Amino acid sequence: MTDEGNPIPRSEERFKPWQRVLLTAVACSATTLLATPLLGYLDLANIVMLFLLTVLLIAVSLGRGAAVLAAVLSVLLFDIFFVPPRFSLAVSNIQYLVTFAVMLATALIVGQLAAVLKKKAQEAQVREQRTQALYQAARQLAGALTLEQVIEIARQFIRFQLNADAEILLPDGSELPAGKATHTFRVEPHLAKMAQDGGQLVRDSQSAGSGYASLYLPLRASMRIRGVLAVAPPPDSIDLPAENLALLEALASLIAIAVERLHYVDVAHTTQLDMVSERLRSSILSALSHDLRTPLTALVGLADSLFLIKPSLPPAALDTAQAMHEQAARLAGLVGNLLDMARLNAGNVTLRREWQPLEEVIGASIKLLGSALAAHPVRVALPTDLPLLEFDAVLLERVFCNLLENAAKYAPAGSAVEIGASQLGDHVEIRVCDHGQGFPAGNLNALFEMFARAQTESGKPGTGLGLAICRAIVEAHGGMIGAENRPEGGACVFFTLPKGVPPIVEEESA
Amino acid sequence: MNAPSPKVLLIEDEKLIRRFVRVAVEEEGCQVSEAETMAQGLIDAGLRKPDLLILDLGLPDGNGIDLIRDLRGWSDVPVLILSARSQENDKIDALDAGADDYLTKPFSVGELRARVRALLRRRSRSGEAATPVVEFGTVTVDLSQRRISRAGEAVHLTPIEYRLLATLLGHPGKVLTQRNLLREIWGPSYVESSHYLRVYVGHLRQKLEDDPTQPKHFLTETGVGYRFQP
Repeated sequence: MTDEGNPIPRSEERFKPWQRVLLTAVACSATTLLATPLLGYLDLANIVMLFLLTVLLIAVSLGRGAAVLAAVLSVLLFDIFFVPPRFSLAVSNIQYLVTFAVMLATALIVGQLAAVLKKKAQEAQVREQRTQALYQAARQLAGALTLEQVIEIARQFIRFQLNADAEILLPDGSELPAGKATHTFRVEPHLAKMAQDGGQLVRDSQSAGSGYASLYLPLRASMRIRGVLAVAPPPDSIDLPAENLALLEALASLIAIAVERLHYVDVAHTTQLDMVSERLRSSILSALSHDLRTPLTALVGLADSLFLIKPSLPPAALDTAQAMHEQAARLAGLVGNLLDMARLNAGNVTLRREWQPLEEVIGASIKLLGSALAAHPVRVALPTDLPLLEFDAVLLERVFCNLLENAAKYAPAGSAVEIGASQLGDHVEIRVCDHGQGFPAGNLNALFEMFARAQTESGKPGTGLGLAICRAIVEAHGGMIGAENRPEGGACVFFTLPKGVPPIVEEESA
Repeated sequence: MNAPSPKVLLIEDEKLIRRFVRVAVEEEGCQVSEAETMAQGLIDAGLRKPDLLILDLGLPDGNGIDLIRDLRGWSDVPVLILSARSQENDKIDALDAGADDYLTKPFSVGELRARVRALLRRRSRSGEAATPVVEFGTVTVDLSQRRISRAGEAVHLTPIEYRLLATLLGHPGKVLTQRNLLREIWGPSYVESSHYLRVYVGHLRQKLEDDPTQPKHFLTETGVGYRFQP
């Protein structure tokens, strides 16, 4: 009875046990004294009623224990002072034994009922008060703007309602913070982790009162478990009863909802910031792209227009014009590569993924390169059962263009470039191979670093961005890229694309 | 050539680009008028009634897509778009809105002249009675009888394949966006299901191209759509 630390004091607690015994004895004696002068006027049966009334009053005011004592005392006093022969326990008429028995039984039952009712009423009052407190906590939590506020509201609630200390542990990433030293109790990290990972209440009855939290409640929100509520009951109480546990669990879900709400507020805020900076970045890149390309476009076109001058310019001047066109076009390609790399490196590449056959993008790349591939026939050998793949066609076209361009640059004229593909588990591997000298020995992965060149001192034009762009694009698609030299000679670049689950295209009933 | 020389309206804000485009287009025997802004371009398009419009998408005073929509309300003059590569989406929107073809900057004068020639040829032909028989490569398509033959042998197409073929043949040289083709052939609820289109274009290439992996007539405009090249 005494282990419930609730804020409404009960009469049982207002008096110490010995005081209650004394009060009961005094009350019974007073009844005896009051009834004695009435003995001549009243029937013994009515005197019994007086005693029963006393027992009832004691039960209501002092509880069940006192009621039992009062019942026994009343029977004894009635026997000694009222039943003839008076002033002795002896009974002249055997019938009075029935009176005693009925009196005792009635007194006990009445006392019990009264005490239970009183207790129920008190409990209801406590529950009502707690529900109110919980409502209030819910309202406060709904208005909380920071995690600190949430923690403070929860701790105050637990301190006031349960006279216990509490702490909220929120995982930092996936790890729970180690026990904090700032509070009056310590947290057992592995128990907190059990609660966080298992999603179940963890109870540690051994360490109660030893300065460690003994209850760990997971903060279960709709998406996931957001943290752990650790509660340390006051040292003088061993354990928390079930009704308090229910209260704590209700509080835990309120906290979880509040924490989750704050988390999403945070996410929304970050997303908005990301969007703003993303938009800024892409508008800077667009402006840069426009500003760099416009003069290059003019340069390429103006160089070309020299050919249209009538009468025709001397051949030497036309050669110069042609060279200007080529150099400007090369510069444009370079600027394009740099801008692409900037875009891809800026992170958050938005892929326009669509399900499509691989052969289409290969065909488009070959067409796009046109005369650059004139001296290198491309042989495409794709398995007929190759599924549709989900990729950004514009970006994958860049990959194929860069790889084919490399092959054309480094392999001798007239040698074929081969494109093949095969299904490997949940990936499709695509290979682009040439019949050139192959990559120089050494770390082949370094080829995919920015500004890496296979032959640094070679006179071949290029920036070493091509393969780095390929890698950025392939990795953005969830694939990997690598290079190797074929045993029979020639360089190979291979990359993978995840297969996924292609959509079904229903066959027509032709 | 007795016909009056075709009129070309060039809307571009960059002076040096206007200069060489003008030279190149005049070389094709056209009269060129220039506009620097979107607003001026729209007025000139109404006044001069050009036979071809060359439009830069990156104009400072507005959105070229709006101009094309506006224009398409009262004119079917061919529109050639000049765009930078960073304007992928604008390009697609412009083609969806009714532009005919595009060139990505930087482009060579040779490419520009080829596109201008093709667009003007189509323009002059559109007045003639449409012929029901189209020939390309070794393929002959008789649209009036729904008969297709390749190197003299009959080719069987499914109804959707035939609709796709007829749509592509109906706009030779024009870039048709995925959206437009999907809406035309499968209906408005399919505009996001681009894999249908890709699979059926693959079928057409299998049946009608000599080398389906390196097509000569049913060309892919990567990220944009398709073009039928006779």
